[in-house]
Amino acid sequence: MGTGVGTAAASSRRPILALVPRIRSRAVTALGILLLGLVAFWLVENAVHDIGQFGLVTLNGITNGSIYALVAIGYTLVYGILELINFAHGDVFSWGAMIAYSVAISWLGADHHSGIELFGILAVALLCAGAFCATLNIAVERVAYRRLRNAPRLAPLITAIGMSFVLSNAIAVVYGFNYVSSEPLLSRRALFTIEGQSYGWDKLIVLLITVPTLMSLMVVVKRTRWGKAMRATAQNRDAARLMGIDVDRAIAFAFGIGGALAGIGGFVYLVYFTQGRFDLGFQIGLFAFTAAVLGGIGNILGAALGGYLIGFIENYNSGLTWHAPGPSWTESLIFILLILILVFRPHGLLGEELSTRS
Amino acid sequence: MTAELLVDARAIRKEFGGLVACNDIDFTVERGAIVSLIGPNGAGKTTFFNMLTGAYTPTSGEIVFDGRDIVGLPQHKITALGIGRTFQNIRLFGAMTALENVLVGMHSRLRSGLFRSLARTPLQRREEKDGRAQARELLAYCGLSPRAEQQYARHLAYGDQRRVEVARALATNPKLLLLDEPTAGMNPKETIAFVDFVRKAREERGLTVLLIEHDMRVVVEVSERVTVLDYGEKIAEGTPDEVTADERVRSAYLGTKPVS
Amino acid sequence: MRSRLRLPSVPPATRTRLERALLAVCFCTLALYPWLYSNYLSTTLTQWLPDTSTAFVILAFTVMGLGLNFVVGYAGLLDLGYVAFFAAGAYVAGWLASEQFANAGSVVFGGTVLPKTPGIHLSPWLVLLAAALFSALLGVVIGVPTLRLRGDYLAIVTLGFGEIIPQFVRNGDNLGGFNLTNGAFGMNGIDGLGFGNTVHHAIHTLPSNFLNELDSRWYYWTALALVVVTIVTSLLLRDSRLGRAWIAIREDEDAAAAMGVPLMRTKTLSYAIGAFFGGAAGAMITLQAGATSPDAFSLQVSIFVLCMVILGGIGNVWGVTLGGILLAYVNYKGLFAAGNTFNSTFGTNVDISQYAYLIYGVAIVLFMLVRPEGLIPSARRRAELVEEPEEENVGAEASPA
Repeated sequence: MGTGVGTAAASSRRPILALVPRIRSRAVTALGILLLGLVAFWLVENAVHDIGQFGLVTLNGITNGSIYALVAIGYTLVYGILELINFAHGDVFSWGAMIAYSVAISWLGADHHSGIELFGILAVALLCAGAFCATLNIAVERVAYRRLRNAPRLAPLITAIGMSFVLSNAIAVVYGFNYVSSEPLLSRRALFTIEGQSYGWDKLIVLLITVPTLMSLMVVVKRTRWGKAMRATAQNRDAARLMGIDVDRAIAFAFGIGGALAGIGGFVYLVYFTQGRFDLGFQIGLFAFTAAVLGGIGNILGAALGGYLIGFIENYNSGLTWHAPGPSWTESLIFILLILILVFRPHGLLGEELSTRS
Repeated sequence: MTAELLVDARAIRKEFGGLVACNDIDFTVERGAIVSLIGPNGAGKTTFFNMLTGAYTPTSGEIVFDGRDIVGLPQHKITALGIGRTFQNIRLFGAMTALENVLVGMHSRLRSGLFRSLARTPLQRREEKDGRAQARELLAYCGLSPRAEQQYARHLAYGDQRRVEVARALATNPKLLLLDEPTAGMNPKETIAFVDFVRKAREERGLTVLLIEHDMRVVVEVSERVTVLDYGEKIAEGTPDEVTADERVRSAYLGTKPVS
Repeated sequence: MRSRLRLPSVPPATRTRLERALLAVCFCTLALYPWLYSNYLSTTLTQWLPDTSTAFVILAFTVMGLGLNFVVGYAGLLDLGYVAFFAAGAYVAGWLASEQFANAGSVVFGGTVLPKTPGIHLSPWLVLLAAALFSALLGVVIGVPTLRLRGDYLAIVTLGFGEIIPQFVRNGDNLGGFNLTNGAFGMNGIDGLGFGNTVHHAIHTLPSNFLNELDSRWYYWTALALVVVTIVTSLLLRDSRLGRAWIAIREDEDAAAAMGVPLMRTKTLSYAIGAFFGGAAGAMITLQAGATSPDAFSLQVSIFVLCMVILGGIGNVWGVTLGGILLAYVNYKGLFAAGNTFNSTFGTNVDISQYAYLIYGVAIVLFMLVRPEGLIPSARRRAELVEEPEEENVGAEASPA
């Protein structure tokens, strides 16, 4: 073979395997675009078919999406700062709904009031749910996760699963295993109508609470000292420590914010669906986690975006009538989506690509 | 007919996002040589190693090993082709014994799979027995006392851990042995013994050796050729004397231990 | 390396003999349990001891724990969807030993039913094997796309599969018009375990259908045999090239790859073998119960089996066996017995079994905080979990030591 091998000869012997990653990523992108095109076509067909239903379903998507967004941000904050999937987060959300129920309905009788009094009661309930869940999440971190911060990855993950069982079953101890529910709280009086579908307070309340919440969150994370400390700790814990940031507090802050959002999400859920149960957080938590991954785990905006996307997917699948798989397949669809993202594009829509090969 | 160049790497470039870790490096190693790769921290030396072993894929460029293009091959295939390595921070399998660590190194040389292991066929039993004997031999060759063989790697003394790592790398039956800062933490006596060991191993086992080293005494003593990297680029190459006299190398490589 | 009994003052040779003796005693007790239970044990004890049928379930779940041990314990992959394999095995049992496929006419081969019965009715032993193989295949199918994911992502993906499969089963009564799984109703009328009519005619002591016997002892012995098979497989593989490869992957995946261990192949193999035993257990339980339904396949089952592995000492076969038996006992008998005793002592009417998962959750958290290595830790595991691991990156340029 002589001294050294010529470039041309070497290229011709380059194993097929070296080409496969490049071909594969192009094929995957092409396939993804094709799928998106099909979905877009399907949506347009449905809209044309029955615009009223389409509008309603879209609003449902936005509603559910708001809840998923609120919960998803909690997952992403914790993952960003600890690289831990907080399995118990969905159950913090459940607690939010239950606390909202207790405060608003059991104690303050919201279902018997209206107008300004109702507004006041709901405001109190919102604050209680948010505060309770923030505290709960911080406590969980302090008790269960802090000691395992340097343990191999499996340990805190398993502990989180255990905490999830503890939290959800604790609800069952206090509230029982059945649904708690109440009469609808908000009036159905229409504020405006579109194509025969009326939209009143009851349908709009979710957006009205979520949007300001998300906006305040962005302000807190971007502008306040604690928000910056949290982001710094998420990027590089040791450097943050060297800069004088109290890392434990920054982590507690992340858990607190995430918990508060989950609590608000729980409140919103209760007000909109007027019911709650100990295992509410399981499926919602899983969907919210999918949303966080879809948007790019560690990215707050991504989590919100992912939340709304999941909300749309869920409701378009369940609610549209033209060639939709139907609600019995929703869970499978979303989990298949989760698996596909993790396998083909683990950094999600807005996350950064890690370029080491593994 | 065997190629004179065991490793022929051309125009190797490695980017991590915006950071260029290796920039257009050409690098060759002759069969049977002992070559050192030096340079300040962050110069890209271990990144280069990782591309040779397949842990990283070069962003562009080619690597031909023993006549085969290895870019894009999975790590275990490259190991089977004949590249073995040790790590900068010792990466033994802590909860396995020293002997078992070396046996893992033999994974690509042993052949018993699931069914033969379940059935405990004569072939499998003989393979295990011979494998263990060979592993013991390798550990002794690397200077580990027989008592330490059954100890969990995590409990071994630092020096012994290094020995086990080398034995494990040798167990892969390599043509090319990559040693990443092998003398870190060694005292002068141990360093001299190690230099002798590298030469001995090269002769007796027909190895080619590529070292990453910070200790200039070792570099000067054992290498036939030295390549210097700085900020991902090759800034000098030649015999140890040529390289240590090079002005560019001296100015780049501050922190060199004085050659006493 | 075998984990040894902690009797430091006893010489090694005697220790091995003691271990073997202990093992023999345990096995004999377990083998004779049905007989011991019905003849010799007083009624106060009987309140706390499981009857043979419950003991069967306990052993079946122990098989699952041992199966998951290949995945979580040996290869170090966190699998939260193990229930998928249990379900696969259960449904294969339904397909091959019931009237589900009556449209196929009547295929009776070594089965426990009379000839000309509609549907497919194979010999239960064949069914067990088929279920195990089908599950193993499912393991490979699930593993190939997912096993290159990092630890926590793998956990979520496996959890996803654990959710998808039951939903698929629930919707499976109308796949393009074909009824594969009988949907939410589940499958009924599944044949029991047994040696089949042909064997029974040849050797009369071996019952044709275990259901016809007075108690569940033959089921129990089948489960015990499966436990033994799983333990033997675990031990054989642990001390082999494959076992070492698994543990290397668990310890340090990148170093393992650098030493020539093919990661995907080795991980998939652990998945497949774990699935094999999960499927066998699922089929066995279904053949005893005579029916199956999608409600049985929840995340809680996956977590329950995972608990067995954790509590018992990840990677240690004996620990997982003990942990499995203990946890399954608590779940299927112990909690009820404790609840009844509590109620009769204090005159309350609390249903403690409702709070089983609260107790398990607390147990998991406490265990991970206090004793992460489990009841009988493998020496490997203790070394791994108790001491702090070094944080290392491939490619990190460390400052000179």
